[in-house]
Amino acid sequence: MEPIKRFLRSTIAGPIFAFLAVAAVVALTTPRFLHVQNLSNVSLQVSIVAIVAIGGTLVILTGGIDLSPGATVALVCVSLAHLVRKMGVPLPTAIALVIVLGMVLGLLNGLLSTYGKIPSFIVTLATMNVYRGAAYLITKALTIFSVSPLLEPIFYGRLLGIPMPFYYVVILYGVAALFLRYTVPGRFLYAVGGNESAALLSGIPVNRVKLLAFVLAGLTAAIAGVLETAWLNSGSPAYGQELALGNIAAAVIGGASLAGGSGNMFATLFGALTVAVVQNGLNLHAVQAAWQDITLGVVLVLAVGLDMWRGALGRLLGRLVLRRSLARPEAAPRRPSAPREDGRTNEGLE
Amino acid sequence: MEGAARSEREALWAVRGISKSFPGVQALRNVSLDIRAGEVHALLGENGSGKSTLAKCLAGVHTPDEGEIYQRGARVALRNPAEARARGVATIYQEFSLIPTLTVAENVFLGNYRTRSGRIDWKAMRAATLEVLERLSLNLDPDAVVKTLSVAGQQMVEIAKAISMDSSLLIMDEPTASLGLSETHHLMEVIRRLTGQGKAVIYISHRLDEVFEIADCVTVLKDGQHVATAPVSALKMADVVRMMVGFDIERHYPKERNVKEEPCLEVEGLSSDNGVSEVSFAVRVGEVLGLGGMVGSGRTEIARAIYGLDRVTSGRVRLAGKEVRFRSPRAAIAHGVGLIPENRKVDGNFFNFDGPRNITVARIRDVVSMLLLRLSREAEVGRAYVKKLSISPSALERSVRYLSGGNQQKVIIARWLFARARLLIMDEPTQGIDIGAKLDVYRVINELTQSGISVLLISSDFPELLAMSDRVAVVRDGRILCIAKAGELSEYELVSRASGAGEKAAAS
Repeated sequence: MEPIKRFLRSTIAGPIFAFLAVAAVVALTTPRFLHVQNLSNVSLQVSIVAIVAIGGTLVILTGGIDLSPGATVALVCVSLAHLVRKMGVPLPTAIALVIVLGMVLGLLNGLLSTYGKIPSFIVTLATMNVYRGAAYLITKALTIFSVSPLLEPIFYGRLLGIPMPFYYVVILYGVAALFLRYTVPGRFLYAVGGNESAALLSGIPVNRVKLLAFVLAGLTAAIAGVLETAWLNSGSPAYGQELALGNIAAAVIGGASLAGGSGNMFATLFGALTVAVVQNGLNLHAVQAAWQDITLGVVLVLAVGLDMWRGALGRLLGRLVLRRSLARPEAAPRRPSAPREDGRTNEGLE
Repeated sequence: MEGAARSEREALWAVRGISKSFPGVQALRNVSLDIRAGEVHALLGENGSGKSTLAKCLAGVHTPDEGEIYQRGARVALRNPAEARARGVATIYQEFSLIPTLTVAENVFLGNYRTRSGRIDWKAMRAATLEVLERLSLNLDPDAVVKTLSVAGQQMVEIAKAISMDSSLLIMDEPTASLGLSETHHLMEVIRRLTGQGKAVIYISHRLDEVFEIADCVTVLKDGQHVATAPVSALKMADVVRMMVGFDIERHYPKERNVKEEPCLEVEGLSSDNGVSEVSFAVRVGEVLGLGGMVGSGRTEIARAIYGLDRVTSGRVRLAGKEVRFRSPRAAIAHGVGLIPENRKVDGNFFNFDGPRNITVARIRDVVSMLLLRLSREAEVGRAYVKKLSISPSALERSVRYLSGGNQQKVIIARWLFARARLLIMDEPTQGIDIGAKLDVYRVINELTQSGISVLLISSDFPELLAMSDRVAVVRDGRILCIAKAGELSEYELVSRASGAGEKAAAS
């Protein structure tokens, strides 16, 4: 009973339930959901937003936010396409270059948000436009097609019958989760997000930590950009538009707090899966595109709301069914600017 | 009201047989007492004694499981704070409930607007505010924006708010926690004025000297039960402490002297861009140097300059004989300096971390091996410090948010012990924590000095400062006026120098 209760109270429970609930609804309403072909499609589609969500979660952990990954993806796609197709650069070199480009774009976001003292929301709102604008400039608003035949196996290749993107997601999430739990920079991300002034007083190089988060976000966006180019074998400045909000939604459904200091990599993955399944369900029902946006919004509120309310819901159920109130510790009195009080501890570190 | 014996005064409020439990803890058990008109009734007890819970029952925040509440002899049910307010109970918490961007008058009548034919009558409210302020002899401008006021000023606004609602009972929870000495005395005057008008005040505070100064009678609670109620004139401070803690403290402050010859910190002509002006002092190994001064005198600024938080504009700092200049806390920590900040909730603890993670954070490399964090080693560290500092064991598994103030403070102290600090700057280390935890902190200070760690102690609790320091430096306006052996400085002298030579302190 005890391990079950611990799991139920853990931060990953909410997003897992959200995902299972949503999958159940879709599976029950259409038989095509559980077809191998469909599931394969879903996993390919989700891989890109899932990888972007890794970087997004890291930034959110420090208390910042990154709205620019979609634009980074566009710029990376377009640059990759341009380098290979228009400038004849060999594919491996081009991929290395655009990965570095992504990190530089992230670095720029980071420098402005830390040493530049501009809130990350404003910075990335601006760079969201600047990076995409640059993408439009490079291709003069056109799409570059047929980038390279070598791209195909990167996305469509299979190892032991499983598509490559699955491996990318698993490896990257594994590395990210280990990084957060077992390395000093990972720990510092949580510290800076949890209480920035205490982090400063404890000798943590706060600005460098935030910078790292943004650079890593740029890295994951670049990887996602390479995958997107491989998926469509083309580069267009219009790509990746849904990624900005999609990746934040994944992190938030995954339980990350936008105030910083709490979040869990695998929970984010389930957040991304939840979003993907909802979208897939709507597609299978041939629902208009407009409804997809509406549904995404509703799912976001429900998933996060349920997570917030599960404490209260649990107590209500407890009182009605079991006729005793569940434990609720008396919280310490709070100053207006005190760290968050939503019951999250060692997010992802447990 | 002055001359009347207590039993002759009207029992404004009475509680009988109050019990209240929360899941896992019985906060109050069969508590009864009377609050009389025109009296200051102090509620004393350690954290966890139930005094806050009792006050909240009277404020309508909690509903007792058992027992009755009587107002003027008639039984009442206070189902929520609004009902309590309507019956004349006003509470002033440690955290103010003022809107900083509104004016004094707007705050005093917040939610209680006077209207005239459907529109808010600002003129009437402003006039009423002026009247209330005058009644309390408060020198506040009703149009002043609250956030421009000092903490003491803001507290006065809270009191004015309580009066404007025609409250007959004022509950004050740690009202002097953020006040300096003269502001405290002013508050005492205001309270006397209020009780002179027949109001009753429940005064909750850890500061026994204040309690003995202002209270008419005292109720001590321990572990949710009533221990004693007595007029203050019949009690000695030692008696009260004994009742609260359960054992006898002959020496209120257990100070040990462990001063060595070698210098730990030497400061010469230090000035910073944040108000520190040509400050010079030295702290020897194992010594506790107290910085004594009024609120705003620059004590914290001296600490900030040493710790690398403010820019040093001139002067030299030497640590263990070696000249240093810290440009950031990171550098200070690397050289063995630690800082326990004044505001531990905001700057001290990581509420998203449990105890062990809070402890290792300033010297995390000590639990790293081969580039990876060793979580089991970290847990061991946690257990070791929980034992060494008698921290509540729940700190090992849960967020430190759930710990009492005293335990949270001990976690921060553990952090600096783990970080091998040679010099620990403690800024108001016992503020807002109960007597048992304070004693623990004093014990820790002794252990620190025993093992050769020096302490720079900032405390607005002057008896504490004078008792726990080896020497005290009097600070005013960012300068050090004088440094004296703690035993040779009386509190009176400290206050009079700290508040300005030639001015008499507002002591009785």
